[in-house]
Amino acid sequence: MNQLKVAILGSGNIGTDLLIKVTRSPYLQCNVFIGRNLASPGIMKARSLNVQTSADGIAYIVQHPACCEIVFDATSATAHQEHAPILKTLNKFVIDLTPAKIGILCVPVVNITDCLKQMNINMITCGGQAAVPIAHALAMTHHEIDYIETISNIASRSAGRATRLNIDEYIHTTEAALKSFTGAKITKAILNLNPAQPCIHMQTTVFAKVKNPQIEKLRHAVGAIAEQIQRYVPGYAIIVPPMIENDRIVVMVRVKGLGDYLPEYAGNLDIINCAALALAEAYAKTKLHPPQKEKAHEICFAQ
Amino acid sequence: MSTATLDLILNDYHHVTANKTESLAAIKNTTLVITGGTGFVGTWLAGLIAFLNDHHAFNVNLILIGRNIEHFKMTRPHLAKRNDIQLLSSDIRYLAELPQETNWLIHAASNPDNRFHASSPMETMSIIANGTYSILRAIERCADFKMLLNLSSGLIYGSQPMTHPAIDEHYIGAPKCGTVSSAYAEAKRFAETLCHSSRSQARMPVITARPFAFIGPYQSLERPWAINHFIKDALSHKPIRVLGDGGTIRSYLYASDMAFWLLSILTRGQSGEIYNLGSDEAVTLKELAAMITALIDPAIEIQLSTASNQPKNSRFVPEITFAQNNLQLAVTTDLHHALKKTIAWNTL
Amino acid sequence: MKSVLLSDPTLRDGNHAVSHLLTTEQIAAYCQAIDQTGMPIVEIGHGNGLGASSLQLGLSKTADFTALKVARDHLKKSKLGVHVIPGFATIEKNLKPAIDLGIDVVRVASHCSEADITEQHIKYARTAGKIVYGVLMMSHMVSPAVLVEEAIKMQSYGAEGIIFMDSAGHYLPEDITKRVTMLVQSLSISVGFHAHNNLGMAIANSIAAVAAGANMLDGCARGFGAGAGNAQLEVLVGVLKRMGYETGIDFYKLLDAADLAESAIIKEMPTISSASIVSGLSGVFSGFMKPVLRISKEFNVDSRDVFFELGKRKIVAGQEDIIIEVAHNLAKRNQTDIK
Repeated sequence: MNQLKVAILGSGNIGTDLLIKVTRSPYLQCNVFIGRNLASPGIMKARSLNVQTSADGIAYIVQHPACCEIVFDATSATAHQEHAPILKTLNKFVIDLTPAKIGILCVPVVNITDCLKQMNINMITCGGQAAVPIAHALAMTHHEIDYIETISNIASRSAGRATRLNIDEYIHTTEAALKSFTGAKITKAILNLNPAQPCIHMQTTVFAKVKNPQIEKLRHAVGAIAEQIQRYVPGYAIIVPPMIENDRIVVMVRVKGLGDYLPEYAGNLDIINCAALALAEAYAKTKLHPPQKEKAHEICFAQ
Repeated sequence: MSTATLDLILNDYHHVTANKTESLAAIKNTTLVITGGTGFVGTWLAGLIAFLNDHHAFNVNLILIGRNIEHFKMTRPHLAKRNDIQLLSSDIRYLAELPQETNWLIHAASNPDNRFHASSPMETMSIIANGTYSILRAIERCADFKMLLNLSSGLIYGSQPMTHPAIDEHYIGAPKCGTVSSAYAEAKRFAETLCHSSRSQARMPVITARPFAFIGPYQSLERPWAINHFIKDALSHKPIRVLGDGGTIRSYLYASDMAFWLLSILTRGQSGEIYNLGSDEAVTLKELAAMITALIDPAIEIQLSTASNQPKNSRFVPEITFAQNNLQLAVTTDLHHALKKTIAWNTL
Repeated sequence: MKSVLLSDPTLRDGNHAVSHLLTTEQIAAYCQAIDQTGMPIVEIGHGNGLGASSLQLGLSKTADFTALKVARDHLKKSKLGVHVIPGFATIEKNLKPAIDLGIDVVRVASHCSEADITEQHIKYARTAGKIVYGVLMMSHMVSPAVLVEEAIKMQSYGAEGIIFMDSAGHYLPEDITKRVTMLVQSLSISVGFHAHNNLGMAIANSIAAVAAGANMLDGCARGFGAGAGNAQLEVLVGVLKRMGYETGIDFYKLLDAADLAESAIIKEMPTISSASIVSGLSGVFSGFMKPVLRISKEFNVDSRDVFFELGKRKIVAGQEDIIIEVAHNLAKRNQTDIK
């Protein structure tokens, strides 16, 4: 089976979860799993899956440039700032799961075609991945959006140190993404951590203010886009369909994770990984079976 | 293992759980992992789970993690062969992953043999420190994790003054830092604080038990504790030699109480709590020796040291009212019966 | 002579009671009056603090910046304070502008088990030279031992005092005594308490707090605040005075300020309604009162059922969107029951 070679940079929980998804993919082959510490659980997991590992960081890719065509960077924003120019010189397709945001922002179901033309793509935030599709459906059915707001509620246990130190960044990035994808005049993002046991699944709400709300049209659009997302995020479900409450449009989404390496309740982390995988597979498909007439979008979302 | 030995233990499980099985109901239909699962504590817990599954349809899925799986298969086939018990061989320090469906974990992986502590203090400390760290990181990825019970040690209190009758959980004492004889206790202190750090940082539910001393079947009489020596010598009709004047004070909790208390703490305790685990029935070694000879052969001689420079006596007895009041737990087998049963098991 | 530092969030917590619609005129009037009393700290803003104006929690009638400017102009003696919740407010968009405008006190708040999200904001405000306190909200939702651990984190980040809140009005005085005692023992900084009156305990709890060693208290004029309201400020000051605590507050002028609040700001006097009792008992955030009542009515479900369900699910402050989901599910369940 023809598969595109990928490298995963970053052997933490995100990188390891990504590894499992890649090993399941018919289009991708993880040729190397790179961390900093050969004794880390992620590296041990990779070894157990017979995947080549390295603790040499980006130097491995520099020394073995043929090892991969796609690189997932699940390290940190600072590290990615260092990695990006190197990977550019090596002409790798880079999927950035850090907050670095050097390249184009990607929400597969909305703009995958544009992303496939770029070489550094950022996966935004969990709130971004969950809310932008809904916001996009809103933008498709309404001419003008005055205000969009998204609130994400995540399990306290799914928010590690990196999340907690970068909440402001998370808010700004998500707000910027909402704005750039919808053209809304004002955007707002909110993040709630809930410590309840058993852990809650990620739940995201989108509120909006528009002139002349078209709820029926919106319901269709939201339903359609949710179906498309479910092809790469099976646990994405609309739990409160579009309605108007207190003069605002409201839509509520729940994201249950796949539980590959991260627990199921960490849907917030899983949705980004699923989106990254969808992007990588789409890219692989264009390389392995270059499209003649089909659009990349259809390749991604047609079965 | 003969049927008689298994029956004795089965009786113990019946006795300790009588009218109290529902108190453990939270564990029904869940997955329990025990590290150090093939040791003394692990074996008794495994037997208790097997009992609850067989006689009360608890449907617990049990996973025992240990280094010496083959030995366990040979010596405890009645447990190793069960469908509801899985055996995983692993050095706890390098355990990267736990089954995702793990709901509970009892961390009993460590070697309490002080001969090992003396010869391999670095290994001793590493197994406890690194092993605990690996486990704490691994449970973070379980889907529905309810509680980790860390088996610490009563030795973390440091030496108990002879005049202090029983140590309670708030007692502030410590082993002497910077000395090899403190290796085990210091590592246990590190592990306790590390578990609480996991609670604070990773939001994992963690509860601590500080075990004192235990007695019961499955405990090898080769283990270097006075009580084992006494029983072993008495069974061979040799004189019991007590170091010093026999004034050292100890207490011993019978193994079935130990197992029941552990499961109760795990399933009914609140995250962050610390419970002493042991018996409050204090005896001197002289008294202990007498109790043992009375059960085996009162004619056996008890030799106390007559040397002028006696080793100092020590005391190691817990205050257990916190567990008793907070979790309504009781010591159901007193020392006399604990000894009787242990001796019986060892002679079957 | 024992002293207690009082902080007055009438124009912040009170904003909950009027759906965050306080006007610049109301802010100016109250600030003018309270500034005469020697009130140490006056807190202004949306009920959920800086940057909380949102569809989730309610849009402010008066933008943060405008409100703070008006307050700053009218507070010459009292310090001007703000409430800041990371996850709602960011340093760049909300905290920095407020600090640049000239506020004096920053109270950085998190849910009681999530103190580590306040590190950046506390550090920023300290570096900017402001007085910074850490606030633990919905504090009944963790054990006293965990509360202490979280408070210690905030202390380590640079908080100069910790205020723990009874955001649901759930506590009884013995709960307060236990918590304050443990906090005072474990912290080297001041301990404060913020009461709500859902079970009629606001004053008693506040007094229990100072008796156990707390030296900071919050109170609102006429108790004007979320849900059943807060500790009634002028009652609190009167009681503290009688018990021999020094507050530095001019009592008559405070009564005048409360009278003004009653006539100019408070539309409905705080009262312990049935909904408030239920929310207090079920441990639900007091600020949920209005949205729960409104949404329950819309979905034709019993608001008390909604409160208990929110309590069962351990919903925290800021999660007002979940009210819609809960009501929606209850309505669906009722429909299937009817079938």
